[in-house]
Amino acid sequence: MRKSLQLVCLTALLLGAIRANAATHEAIPEGMARIPSGIYRPLFRSVTDPAEVRVNEFCLDTLLVTKGDFLEFVRTNPRWQRSQVKRIFADENYLRDWAGDLELGTNANPNQPVVFVSWFAAKAFAQWKGKRLPTTAEWELVAAASSTRADGENDPAFQQDILRWYSTPAAKELPVVGKSAANLWGIHDLHGLVWEWVADFNSAAVTGDVRNDTGLERQLFCGAGSVGAKDVRNFPAFMRYGFRSSLKANYCVHNLGFRCAKDL
Amino acid sequence: MKSFFNSLTLSATVLALGLSANGANASDAPAKSTKPACCARAEAPGQFTDQSIYQVESKWKTDDGKEIHLGDLAGRPQIVVMFFASCHYACPMLLNDVRRIEAALPEDVRGKVGVTLVSFDTKRDTPEALAKFREAQNLPSDRWTLLSGSDDDILELAALLGVRYKQDATGQFMHSNLITILDSKGEIVHQQVGLNQDVTETARILKQLSNS
Repeated sequence: MRKSLQLVCLTALLLGAIRANAATHEAIPEGMARIPSGIYRPLFRSVTDPAEVRVNEFCLDTLLVTKGDFLEFVRTNPRWQRSQVKRIFADENYLRDWAGDLELGTNANPNQPVVFVSWFAAKAFAQWKGKRLPTTAEWELVAAASSTRADGENDPAFQQDILRWYSTPAAKELPVVGKSAANLWGIHDLHGLVWEWVADFNSAAVTGDVRNDTGLERQLFCGAGSVGAKDVRNFPAFMRYGFRSSLKANYCVHNLGFRCAKDL
Repeated sequence: MKSFFNSLTLSATVLALGLSANGANASDAPAKSTKPACCARAEAPGQFTDQSIYQVESKWKTDDGKEIHLGDLAGRPQIVVMFFASCHYACPMLLNDVRRIEAALPEDVRGKVGVTLVSFDTKRDTPEALAKFREAQNLPSDRWTLLSGSDDDILELAALLGVRYKQDATGQFMHSNLITILDSKGEIVHQQVGLNQDVTETARILKQLSNS
């Protein structure tokens, strides 16, 4: 009798705990995690740029958008199917690894991250989900966290792991999403799987228009004074900055995918 | 703490898997009511060409308060510049460059070419502010269109034109100095890069476009 009473109490306690937990996270959509507000310190900035960018709390997909997710999107939005898409919104590599408009191909796994998608396609997918793409500041803030600390950039082992990925040739078959350990905020695969589109990729303004040469920089920019790196140790962030500044919005690349964000 | 996050992640993962499984079932059914309202316009049959930037669905406000789509600019070649009215350095020079291009055109051609200025600055460049700018700069209203829009739509247009921009701490925008020439269908045919460039080539292309 006493034992069963204990059990009841324990169950009640547990239920209470679960309910409290659910109440705290009620506003978080499924598949997303809440990212608390924080401060992003841009890697590069001109003299007139802010040293710190405040990032308000928001939600981020814990996983990258998968091929399966994207298949559902193109099924209901035929104008984003491979044969229908307009070139100005996606170059000729759009969904190149798929077998057809609605076929991933026999070797593909629907849980692999979708790649060969343009910025326009990623943005349209996010809109369709009632979400948006994360900003550079949001993405970098989240990606700075290791599994144990928010400031992973100060953790040499974490930086080393990222660099190891950057220096390893891409696997022939993309791994499926969610296999790597989540970071402090519960987000998977920020490093080590694919690069990710951000909403304001075209604010990475090393030079002006990407089709032009760096020699034109002074011609192209107004007030582009001195540009200096914040922290030369943060080489991965430097590489991401360089990668973003080389992109055009209709580019579809084999190792570039995305995940969605949402305001709280 | 850590295990709490782990279990949160796990449940999020399970939920995400559940969601996509449901989604897959739902999408097996014929999709008739699922077309988002946003795409009605773009699915209008073959209105614009594959390379036309006029395919975008965004809505803009002119400085006289009218709401337009970029597609409403179709029908004549356009000189397109992204700028902001409170810019003291590059934008006045960009505007001067556009005037130099116009001046290099024969009068009959000039009348057939439109100029569209699109502001980066959603806060300050309201339609009223742009109307004042038009007055101060004495820009002819029959050919010059001044547009303001939402942050998201400005980002999209910049992406289409290859314009990179960023707001700095002082509220000024760093931006590419690009003058884009669109043909009457909204396809990019030429871009003049940088300030104070020779306008001969841009003027030649505009002459050609308005004669074809």
